[in-house]
Amino acid sequence: MKVLIIGNGIAGNQVAFTLSQQNQEHEICIISAEGVPEYDPCSLPYFLGGEVEKKNVFRKKMEDYEQHNITLVFDNKVVSIDPEAKRVTTDKGLEIDYDKLVLAHGGDLFIPPIEGIDKKGIFSCKQLIETEKLRSHTGSCAVVIGSGAIGIEAAEALKKKGYEVYIIELFDWILPTLFDEPAGKKLAAAMEGYGIHVCTSEKVLRIKGTDVVTSVVTDKQEIECDTVVVATGVVPGTALARTAGIETGRGIQVNQKMETSVPDIYACGDCVETVDACTGEAAMFQLKHNAIEQGQIVAKNILGEKTQYLGAHAFARAHFFKTHAATFGKTIRGTECLLGESEVIEKENGADYLRVILLDGKVIGGQAIGKYADTIGLLISAMWRKDDIKLIRSKWNSISKTKNPGKFSQMRLGHIFGFGA
Amino acid sequence: MKTKREQLRIDPTKCTACHLCTMACAIKHHGIHGMLNPHLSRIKIHQYKPQEVNVPEVCMACENAPCIKVCPVNARMRISNGSVVTNVSLCIGCHACVYICPVGSPEVHPETGQTLTCDMCAEDKAGPWCVIACQEGALTLSDKDSLTIETARNQAGRYKRMHA
Repeated sequence: MKVLIIGNGIAGNQVAFTLSQQNQEHEICIISAEGVPEYDPCSLPYFLGGEVEKKNVFRKKMEDYEQHNITLVFDNKVVSIDPEAKRVTTDKGLEIDYDKLVLAHGGDLFIPPIEGIDKKGIFSCKQLIETEKLRSHTGSCAVVIGSGAIGIEAAEALKKKGYEVYIIELFDWILPTLFDEPAGKKLAAAMEGYGIHVCTSEKVLRIKGTDVVTSVVTDKQEIECDTVVVATGVVPGTALARTAGIETGRGIQVNQKMETSVPDIYACGDCVETVDACTGEAAMFQLKHNAIEQGQIVAKNILGEKTQYLGAHAFARAHFFKTHAATFGKTIRGTECLLGESEVIEKENGADYLRVILLDGKVIGGQAIGKYADTIGLLISAMWRKDDIKLIRSKWNSISKTKNPGKFSQMRLGHIFGFGA
Repeated sequence: MKTKREQLRIDPTKCTACHLCTMACAIKHHGIHGMLNPHLSRIKIHQYKPQEVNVPEVCMACENAPCIKVCPVNARMRISNGSVVTNVSLCIGCHACVYICPVGSPEVHPETGQTLTCDMCAEDKAGPWCVIACQEGALTLSDKDSLTIETARNQAGRYKRMHA
């Protein structure tokens, strides 16, 4: 059986290597739009800042592909899929047949329609080639457009390289999809403390410069700069799937076996729309751990094992200099349209901050900065178990005499929330 | 996927929080850390005074370890004895493994910011030092069956029946 994988990212490689470890008989082929073995996009900002060497960015070596009998086709971008003939066509005119096709081409960087965004000195931090260009670029003042995880990490890396860094965010606080307003504001204050200028509720109107960038104009000010990093998010690549008539929503639609609506075509990674594993709602969490799990599920289903993908996990962290923050589940904005009584428990101790969001007495999300983040795993477990916090709050002190081994987690939760105090 | 790892079996009801295990761990690994500091122990004891219970906390080397998946620089890895450890030459100290850990196990080195977890005293034939140090029987080594998800679930179910 010939398995064709489009995309040489984390999800695609997970499919290929899981398949080849389980069964050597399949013919596995990966089509990559780039010319390098698998690398880790998560480590690119750290590569930019010099914390990670180039050799450590790669997750696989060329020898690994040979050892596992995986054929690699470099520098070819698949432009169309013919599900009737079971054949794909690339931009270089290459035609490849398949028995099972896996779409793992991930997402595309969203480039906002800003005037002058095609000038020299404008970079992104999503692909290795782009990041290398940015790394070898010399400048003194950088503007990062967008304050998602990549934007924050890129800003930190550029600051370490000695740039004067500005972050411009359209929303009222930084990391708007991951953190609520108080947490976002605290993180912004921390960034300011490290010397990074954070400009929120600002819209970039145009980028000035004849050939090379000279300044960025927002609706509030004009910043003179020589480097611009576009970090405005990643949109799932659905255009290719539509050529095969695959159903798409925000991302490629898949069932629990990670099959698309067209037989023998699977999809995994950043390009699919899945469900939240905890709530079962439609969700898109384009994160590394989800890509790895989805890749494993696709490989198992191709091999005929009946495994189901239960959903993606909403967990992310942000880290810059000495500030650490983590978030999971829903933000308070995400609960606004839900029925039920929502409650927020906040704890603050200097720079440390904890925010837990409860819906009808059950944990559905939380954010933490600093020391509180170290125990966030316990809150995630509480969300999964759907622990009744009201009950823990009222009974926490009376758990004492029973020494009930089944209640240790609840005991620790009570300790985090400070019910005993 | 079965990871044949010897597991530390923790019995919190026997723990007296004497911290011999944390001392043993700190002594065992002081060469790697470059300092002898009980706060760098890979086993921690949580004391809950109102409940009069002490819970030792150590990396359980989960079969489906989430820390391996979330690490942005692929520094978390499973070594030959089944333990999951941090490769200090790669770790950038982002704490992702600390946050995702279901037991909150990884300890952070205060100077390097890198994380530390139990390696079951990998190269030592005598076995984990914390088990040798524990006088109360709160830490024992279960080498008969590795703690897989199934056995853990069965045990959890048994607890539930006992205390329902």
